[in-house]
Amino acid sequence: MSKIIEIKKLRKVYGDGVELVALDDVDLTIEEGEVLSIVGPSGSGKSTLLNMIGLLDTPSNGEIWLKGQNISKASSKERARLRNKELGFIFQYHHLLPEFSAVENVMMPLLIAGVEKKEARHRAITLLEEVGLGDQLNNKPNQLSGGQNQRVAVARALAGHPSIVIGDEPTGNLDSKSSDMIYELLRKLNREMNQTFILVTHDMDMAEKTDRILRLVDGKIVCEMLRDGDKFVTRDLCKLDK
Amino acid sequence: MLELFVAMKHIRTRKRQTVLAVGAVGLAVAIIIVFRSLMNGSFETFFDIFFELAPHVLVLPKEGEEYIYLYKTLIEFIWAIPGVAAVSPALSTTATLSFEDNVENVDMTGVVPAELNKVTSIGDKYMIEGDLYAIQSGRRVALGDKMIEKLEVQMGEDVVASFPDANTMNLVVAGVFRTGVEEWDQAAFVSLETAQEFLGDGDVITYINIQIEDPYQADEVAAEISALGYDAESWRTMFPQFEESLAFETFSNNLILVLVLLIASFGIANVMNMLVLEKTREVGMLMAMGTNQSQIRRIFLIESGILGLAGGIFGTAFGYLVSAYFNSLQYTVNAPTAPQPIVIKFLVDPFDLIAFSLLALILSMIAGVYPAHKASKLDPVVALRG
Repeated sequence: MSKIIEIKKLRKVYGDGVELVALDDVDLTIEEGEVLSIVGPSGSGKSTLLNMIGLLDTPSNGEIWLKGQNISKASSKERARLRNKELGFIFQYHHLLPEFSAVENVMMPLLIAGVEKKEARHRAITLLEEVGLGDQLNNKPNQLSGGQNQRVAVARALAGHPSIVIGDEPTGNLDSKSSDMIYELLRKLNREMNQTFILVTHDMDMAEKTDRILRLVDGKIVCEMLRDGDKFVTRDLCKLDK
Repeated sequence: MLELFVAMKHIRTRKRQTVLAVGAVGLAVAIIIVFRSLMNGSFETFFDIFFELAPHVLVLPKEGEEYIYLYKTLIEFIWAIPGVAAVSPALSTTATLSFEDNVENVDMTGVVPAELNKVTSIGDKYMIEGDLYAIQSGRRVALGDKMIEKLEVQMGEDVVASFPDANTMNLVVAGVFRTGVEEWDQAAFVSLETAQEFLGDGDVITYINIQIEDPYQADEVAAEISALGYDAESWRTMFPQFEESLAFETFSNNLILVLVLLIASFGIANVMNMLVLEKTREVGMLMAMGTNQSQIRRIFLIESGILGLAGGIFGTAFGYLVSAYFNSLQYTVNAPTAPQPIVIKFLVDPFDLIAFSLLALILSMIAGVYPAHKASKLDPVVALRG
């Protein structure tokens, strides 16, 4: 396995007067094909870390390397291009474009990449069939259930063949049955395409299904647990008192 | 194209806002088209009224000469100039007309009736008795109605024309005209031959009136004739105030019309601003999916451009129909001195239809600049939070 993300001494500070340290010198390496979950209390910096990896936010200090390229200081245009090419996003709220049908929403990352409409449509239909929505192609988000919309969002996140899929509480708004369905879907895609998944979640049941769990408190990684068969083993940097 | 795809989707799904924006611009453009057509119509009416009695180009004898001597060659030369519609030679003189005990001095002009009619339409529009063309056959005269009153003469009766050094002759009154212009209504017209016989100075004339298809070509025509040594002047140099007042009128009208359109484009700015506010999350998601700032900006610019262009096209079509309808009503106004009521014309200039559609497009895009810029500068993290 090769390193897909390498984070060195990453620091994010918000505010001008009263400073709020959201991330405090985080070091992290993520391997290609890994399914990683980040857990921790609200305000611990999970989402900030995810936004950094997702190139939506820029660090105050430190470096982020994506596939061997230092992207900490990339221009807004370059970051947009990389988001389109390398990343797929699934948020707690589906964030589908309300005017567009399911298939058009899934086509969107491809259209942004400049793929021809016909080809994009073909790919989108394949993906929607894969997530079990082959019969809902032309329905708009307000004609679909919460779980269905989230599956459309998953299909959209995968449309552009991203190397990393980022999920910020991807099942946070769903009942446990829909949650399981979404997770199984992600896992299946991971096995089939060796995509890297980084999930932020409150849901420990889901976290325990991933390969590695990071626990973030006050902007620091305080615990790292690795899957070993059916159990998790903790690494030495675990400070369980926190 | 992504930008167009998203913009069109917004336009099609947000029907109420689309109708509002297109309606505001469309109404403004329609008002402009109707006003411009009224303006064009009244300018044409102005021209018609003004040039009914005035020539486009006036040709006078060479400097130091009393008459235009070789006028037939000159007339041929003028006819050869492209765009010339009428060439009316005239020999003007003063005559003393007497009828019974009444004696009056009068401006008597020898003319070719058909050509005079083309320049002044006196034969078609202003004859109240008899026929202007009748003067062509022999010793006949057409008199203005004021002169008829002063001489107390009637159609078919003889007046005596005389003047020192001139050949006294009897003239039959063959026509009476009334133009509403005092000076003209005291004048007399005879045929060119009769006037030449009266003066006895041979086959000569004193001036030529020229009418041109496009009055704005008058300067060029005058210049060609001046090159031969004659004193030719166009209406533009004879009556510069005429064009000055038209230019001022046009400017002030256009200023008001552009302001109307400017106000309408604020409607677009408002709709676009609302759209950006409403679409914050979606802009955030588009950014997360890799849409860059210039693409976001273009989505909103294209959208306001399309709304403006649609308003422009709808407005010009509507304005054109309204103008055509008003024009068909043949609405008239009466002026106290005018012999006939004046018909209010609404003439649409096809150039206006294109120009104001484009102006609506440009102003709407300008109105969209700020909202589009605002959308492009959104921080995706903040925008996604809503």
